[in-house]
Amino acid sequence: MQSAVDAKNLVKKFDDLVAVNDISFNIQTGETFAILGENGAGKSTTIRMIACRSPLTSGKLFVGDFDTKKEEVKIRSILGIVPQENNLDPDLNVRENLLVYARYFRIDKNTAEKRSDKLLDFVGLSKKLGSKVESLSGGMKRRLIIARALLHKPRILLLDEPTTGLDPSVRQEIWEKLEELRQTENLTIILSTHYMDEAEKLSQRLFVMANGKIITRGKPQEIIRKRVKNYALEVRGIRNNPLVVTSTNITSHKRGNTHLYFAEEIEQLTPLMNSYDNTQMILRPSNLEDVFLIYVNSD
Amino acid sequence: MYLALAKVDITDAISVWSRNMRVYLRLWKTELIAPIIEPIFTFFAFGFGVGALISSRVEGLSYLSFIGAGILAFTVLMRTVFELTYGAYFRMVYQSTYNAILSTPVNAESLAFGEILYAATKGLIDALFVIPLVIIFGSSTSYLAPLSIFPLLLGCLFLGSLSLAITAHIREIDHFNLYFALYWSTIFLCGAWFPVNKLFDWLQVIAYILPTTSAIDLTRAFLNGGFEQRHIFEAIYLIIISILLTEWALRSIRKRMVV
Repeated sequence: MQSAVDAKNLVKKFDDLVAVNDISFNIQTGETFAILGENGAGKSTTIRMIACRSPLTSGKLFVGDFDTKKEEVKIRSILGIVPQENNLDPDLNVRENLLVYARYFRIDKNTAEKRSDKLLDFVGLSKKLGSKVESLSGGMKRRLIIARALLHKPRILLLDEPTTGLDPSVRQEIWEKLEELRQTENLTIILSTHYMDEAEKLSQRLFVMANGKIITRGKPQEIIRKRVKNYALEVRGIRNNPLVVTSTNITSHKRGNTHLYFAEEIEQLTPLMNSYDNTQMILRPSNLEDVFLIYVNSD
Repeated sequence: MYLALAKVDITDAISVWSRNMRVYLRLWKTELIAPIIEPIFTFFAFGFGVGALISSRVEGLSYLSFIGAGILAFTVLMRTVFELTYGAYFRMVYQSTYNAILSTPVNAESLAFGEILYAATKGLIDALFVIPLVIIFGSSTSYLAPLSIFPLLLGCLFLGSLSLAITAHIREIDHFNLYFALYWSTIFLCGAWFPVNKLFDWLQVIAYILPTTSAIDLTRAFLNGGFEQRHIFEAIYLIIISILLTEWALRSIRKRMVV
């Protein structure tokens, strides 16, 4: 399969700070790929390098076979970019935001009008055509930005923390739209996020970044299986109590006021619940957040 | 060694220009009335007020004729400078318009060039309203007056690109205070209100180095006739400075936006 993005030994330095420290990765055409990490891990810098908005300090980066060092214009004509910030044009109304943007892609007026109306319908904003951008809710603005990014029928949709700062129902809305796009369009979707559930739900493959490096990569379920056991017992609200001593088939971690125990079978964890009184306990399948926090704690 | 000007795609620059024009035309009522008000009052204050105290002819012209070029150039250049300082800073930092445009195939150089073109257009639209005013107030004695838009265009390009380059370098909007302090100080030296040769020798040298002096002197030649050899040198000087500063502005915007 053809690569949508191919990165080799990417390094990005800002004066003394190494934001991205020698990472290599490959994203296949048609897959949904997540770049996961905490704030400051290097996700946005990686996204900016893919969008040719940040020159590489060293390494090689190809997007759809084009070299980011030489073919900025060609690359951005195949990318649909959804930035972290709201950069809709407040001087223009909803529909104008799309029409003016279409011009930057040299889409003729008729086609731009047709596509804009169709996309506004897709994101549920067809009743807001003449509204000012400021009058839209946070969720509507996000949806409008996604519609804008799809105007030129991009091959790759690049989303930098698409749901940061949005309330849970709006996050669901955005996820549904992305899910729909993945199923209906032959689109490569690359998203950066610090939400583990978002990465786990949306992506087919991902890598996790910390301090500018990739600390683990693969399919979400594989990473979880490889790095943690099937089930987790999460005990919250612990003060200074030590972790309960357990048998060898249970692993334990302390994170702030929370104790975490992992085991392959749920029955192995239930006896531990008797060791705690009056505390909030959750017995659940392990998730990506567990993997991530174990990594961060181990640093 | 790369040439930023060579990276400009004129179609893309026009798309940026057209985005700004769309916003400008939506506000056309205030945008078109504003540039006329100030020149009218300046004509009354300087032309008739201060002019009444000046009986001698200035550079062979009545004082009212002499300051016509100053008022015209002052209005037009000021408009361009404001557009590419506060206007551009708003689009770049507060509205993230530059970020949105740079998510498309438009490159930083075409974006910057489109911004300069737009600011110059805005300045020249003001000129279309102020030139008739200059004629009505009797400040222009030459039928070549409408052609004064050429030196004004060069003035807009030079001051516009300088302003955009400064905008690309500042990190706080208050830093414009220093730029404007310098701008206001120099505009008084540039022959808008009195002839440069009335200044101390060393100030005259500074005044002639400032390209604004050339733009105003050329504008005056078109408004009132009396072309001399120095006007050719002034035009060449303005063209060279405009090209160099446009190159600087384009590079500065790339350096600011692509990091």
